[in-house]
Amino acid sequence: MNQEPFLQLDRVIHEKGRLAIMSMLAASPELSFTELRDGLGMTDGNLTTHIKALQQEGYVSVAKSYQNRRPLTTCSLTASGRKAFTEYIDLLEKIVRQNKYK
Amino acid sequence: MQSIHMQTNWAEKNLQTIRTLMERSAVYRRALAPIMLFAGMLGILAAAIGLIFHLDSISSFCALWLSTAAVVVVVAFLNTRLQAIRDKEALWSPPTRRVAQAALPPLFSGMFFSSAFLFVGIYNLIILVLMWLFFYGCALHAAGFFMQRSTKAFGWIFIGMACAAIVILICLPTSNGATTMEFDRQCPYWLMGFFFGALHLVYGTYLYLTEKGKNAA
Repeated sequence: MNQEPFLQLDRVIHEKGRLAIMSMLAASPELSFTELRDGLGMTDGNLTTHIKALQQEGYVSVAKSYQNRRPLTTCSLTASGRKAFTEYIDLLEKIVRQNKYK
Repeated sequence: MQSIHMQTNWAEKNLQTIRTLMERSAVYRRALAPIMLFAGMLGILAAAIGLIFHLDSISSFCALWLSTAAVVVVVAFLNTRLQAIRDKEALWSPPTRRVAQAALPPLFSGMFFSSAFLFVGIYNLIILVLMWLFFYGCALHAAGFFMQRSTKAFGWIFIGMACAAIVILICLPTSNGATTMEFDRQCPYWLMGFFFGALHLVYGTYLYLTEKGKNAA
């Protein structure tokens, strides 16, 4: 089997928690911090760390606003984040396909 | 060889997880406020028509409220269609499909049981209204899993109040004469007006104040 696709996988997205965050954000225009935390069953600290890592890579943008006088943090995928996620999926599909045709 | 299998299994599992997460995350986000406000206004209007014109028979009561529901459904469909066209998205998107699939069984059950009640000759409008409230609440609650969280709470209000009303009616001392007849005649319209009219107006106003600009299914 060609090992290349596996080695090409984006290491930032590759981590389980960050992949889950990217997956949820890919299906929605934006999600609040609470929606992500509840949807993934993560702790506040864990989620914050992962989002910071994705933000530093330029994959996720974070916006802070107020809703009903309460602070609201919303996250969304950036264009490069969406591109990286699509490429990651393509590589996963490639890995599966390669073995099936063997 | 084992490594190849491990990688393939891992990739397949990851793709499945990604798919599940994406499906869970894609909630129905089209603006509900205009639909709820319209439903509320029409509900109050229908209740007023029923009370003013003394539409006391079960057939006229059902005809009035079923036609009101039909108008609301048509307007809601047109509104959703317009939003989908404006946002250049498919009307029958996966979140829309999930909302419809979740709401359909309770709505069907409500229609089925009320028809069955009428078929066996239980012509009690209050029981009919409470049954509608209960099943409508169940439909809202089920759909709420794929919509914003407040929809589930709104559904619980209907379920809880329908149950409370049943308990009150059971415990209410029955009296004979004109007072009871007048109560039986007016009560269904007041209940429908309150729940399908006023409550929808309140919820619609809440949604109007809280819904964000971007609405995507």
